[in-house]
Amino acid sequence: MLRILLILLAPLLLLLMLEAAFEIGIWEPLAQPMSHAGTSVRLKRALSDPAIPRIDYVTIGSSRPEYGIDHAMLAATARQVGRVHANLAMPGSHWLTIGLLSEWLQRAHPEVRGGIIALSIQDLINPGNGSYELGIVQPFRHLGDIDEVTAHVDFNRNDVATYAIYSALFGWRADIREFVRHPYARRKTINWFNANRPASITLFENPESHGDMCAFGLDALSACDKVEASTDPERDGLKRQCKELRGGAASRPDFASLRQQHPLPDFMQRTRDVVQAQLRSTPWPEPPLVVLMPVPRIWTHDVLGPGLHEWALAILAPLADEGRIQLIDATGFFDADGAAECSAFFDFYHQNALGRERFMRWLLPQVQRFLHHAESSPPIPIERKPLRP
Amino acid sequence: MLFNSFQFIIFFVLVLALNQPLKRWPMAQKMMLLAASYYFYGQWQWHYVLLLWFSTIVDYTIGLRMARTRHPRRLVAISVIVNLGFLAIFKYANWLIDTLNFGAAAAGSAFHITPLDVLLPVGISFYTFQSLSYTIDVYRGVLPPRKNLLDYALAVAFFPQIEAGPIVRAREFLAELDGDMHVAFDDVKRALVLIAFGYVKKLVFADNLALIADPVFDHPAAHGFWDSLLAVYAFAFQIYCDFSGYTDIAIGCALLLGIRFPQNFNYPYAAQSIQDFWRRWHMTLSRWLRDYLYIPLGGNRKGRARTYANLMTTMLLGGLWHGASWNFVIWGGLHGAYLSFERAVLGRWRWWNADHPAAAALRVVVTFHLVCFAWIFFRAREFSHSSVMLANLSHPSLATFHAGEHGGTALLVSALLVAQLIGAYLHYKDRIAASRGPLLALALAAAILAVIWFSPATTAPFIYFQF
Repeated sequence: MLRILLILLAPLLLLLMLEAAFEIGIWEPLAQPMSHAGTSVRLKRALSDPAIPRIDYVTIGSSRPEYGIDHAMLAATARQVGRVHANLAMPGSHWLTIGLLSEWLQRAHPEVRGGIIALSIQDLINPGNGSYELGIVQPFRHLGDIDEVTAHVDFNRNDVATYAIYSALFGWRADIREFVRHPYARRKTINWFNANRPASITLFENPESHGDMCAFGLDALSACDKVEASTDPERDGLKRQCKELRGGAASRPDFASLRQQHPLPDFMQRTRDVVQAQLRSTPWPEPPLVVLMPVPRIWTHDVLGPGLHEWALAILAPLADEGRIQLIDATGFFDADGAAECSAFFDFYHQNALGRERFMRWLLPQVQRFLHHAESSPPIPIERKPLRP
Repeated sequence: MLFNSFQFIIFFVLVLALNQPLKRWPMAQKMMLLAASYYFYGQWQWHYVLLLWFSTIVDYTIGLRMARTRHPRRLVAISVIVNLGFLAIFKYANWLIDTLNFGAAAAGSAFHITPLDVLLPVGISFYTFQSLSYTIDVYRGVLPPRKNLLDYALAVAFFPQIEAGPIVRAREFLAELDGDMHVAFDDVKRALVLIAFGYVKKLVFADNLALIADPVFDHPAAHGFWDSLLAVYAFAFQIYCDFSGYTDIAIGCALLLGIRFPQNFNYPYAAQSIQDFWRRWHMTLSRWLRDYLYIPLGGNRKGRARTYANLMTTMLLGGLWHGASWNFVIWGGLHGAYLSFERAVLGRWRWWNADHPAAAALRVVVTFHLVCFAWIFFRAREFSHSSVMLANLSHPSLATFHAGEHGGTALLVSALLVAQLIGAYLHYKDRIAASRGPLLALALAAAILAVIWFSPATTAPFIYFQF
């Protein structure tokens, strides 16, 4: 019987050892640099670079602030007052990433004083961004955070991606599968990033963005009719976004009426409680500057549920009143532009360089006042470098 | 309940936990295994358990009465009619009706029969053959009728085999029950290796190969030569990994419960002839067809023409056993033709049969491609799809090969074929099962890891469940 038990336990022990190795990051040097987890690894390595001895402020958030905020400008203006402001915004980041990344920062860079948490009203519908956010947070996780993760992402027995909640072996599954399919391409990409993306670029530069949406418009869902009619393969990304837009438009919860319910629907209660608890326990000495990023009208008019904007403010405003956060609501920033809004975005989600510049003209003085504690100064011209291999 | 479900894993662990202490009371142990088997089968469609009971009671009673009657032939005929009758109603009636309706419509007749509203009971083809083997063996006098209904019911319904085999003959199974059902340490090692490799074959290989083969076979007109060729190769290994994976898990689970099942696969793509292929592929079905159909038909004892006719009949019926479709008939017919051609022509070619590595390699390659050709008809959903696949394959062009698109699949199927050839000589599963602790632990851990990392997000049911 003992021999049988040994035979059963020995492979499990080996797997536990491998799990531990993956928990401490054995796979990180091999991660696909452009995947969700790989982007996190690049950030982690940049933040651990001896060339970056100190960080005072950070910007955390999704791809909307990644493209919509001028990180080079923020870094330069912070530098003027002797501070270091790093960009940690990543595509797909949501409240889970914000929580675990800020906790990891607290351990790796306890000197961080505060930062910008930038998302959009859409990110206040649910407490998590689905199972794929597990990939983003994998490099920042530790064994004791399972409760925190399950507050944001539900375990689903039929969704193997959610097994990553409990196991790093599952957390790296997608990355390993892709590695096995294209090992040589992976090696080339990693080498390219190692050679061309020092920490200074990763943390203090802007990603590249091209084009605008004026050929389609950003006012109404009819823009998607034009996108879908296009035969240009370059528009495939927009077509994918249109699928998401149409999916959202098909199920628009009416937040105005849902807010009247007693008790509130479970998902709303959960979102409010998780977000408020998280922002109340932000591990920085200074209250974070929470920025609700600009959202094109197509979202607020045709896709997102009515009353969502007010619901988002209902979650965040009490925290601002308590002094736990500084709140900047830029949701309708480009609304006043009317037809010109289309010139500020390069797809249905993200601002282009022009949109970023216009937005920063408005945002920067507030960042300087609330965060960098400096007198506002004119924007500093930044040298642009390409960011994609 | 599928082997590749959490439900089954929990179920099997519970059965194992109950089986161990009950070994001291064989009757209670068998009752528990029978109850577990009915529960397992009933998870799919509980009322088809009644069908299983009926079939069991009929054959059990016939077995007992055959010992006392002067007309055993009539009784065995009743058994054959009842068993094959169920099979005909549930599996072939709608196919025949559709064929008749199609023929009538083609002839411009208004004749139409409404198809029956029946669902094919899972595993009916398998347990029907197992049950028939009992009454036929009793009739032949090679097996005494079993007085203990519990033993016989368990032989028919034993859960590791009921849904997709292996086709364990009643006399083999009953002999196991008559033994001590002892599970030695080496049995546990072997069972664990079989189960682990079975899951790897199914979840890692078969399910991923399905992602390559399915889109092409489902929409062949949208694909060209290389897509189609690689889809055929991919399906060849998909069905092997799927079915032999299931069998490995079944054999492993049975072994842990103290029952030894016969081998069902022996590296079939390393076969050097179609006859050799059938000695390696679904071996329990081949044996059944040989012993209960081919030999009673006369086998090869009644002249050449009759031998070929017997081969063709056996393989056509073997094809039809898989499913009610003309494509399965063509598949069986092709194998019947291959076997006849081998016997009539290839057997006489000295160079073909030369004992030389190059000749052996040529035989393996040719056999593999003949088998793959027949798989086209087996896999295609409709006859028209197989025609389109054949049309795609009739326009070979090196220029349309794109390394990025086709290279990975080509490499994968080549590696799997090489693994078959090496496996046929090394028998690595047996070696690992016989190895000492560290290597075994490493192999089991690697198998679990392969399932964690490389199984697709969604898994498909086992292919042979539909038969």
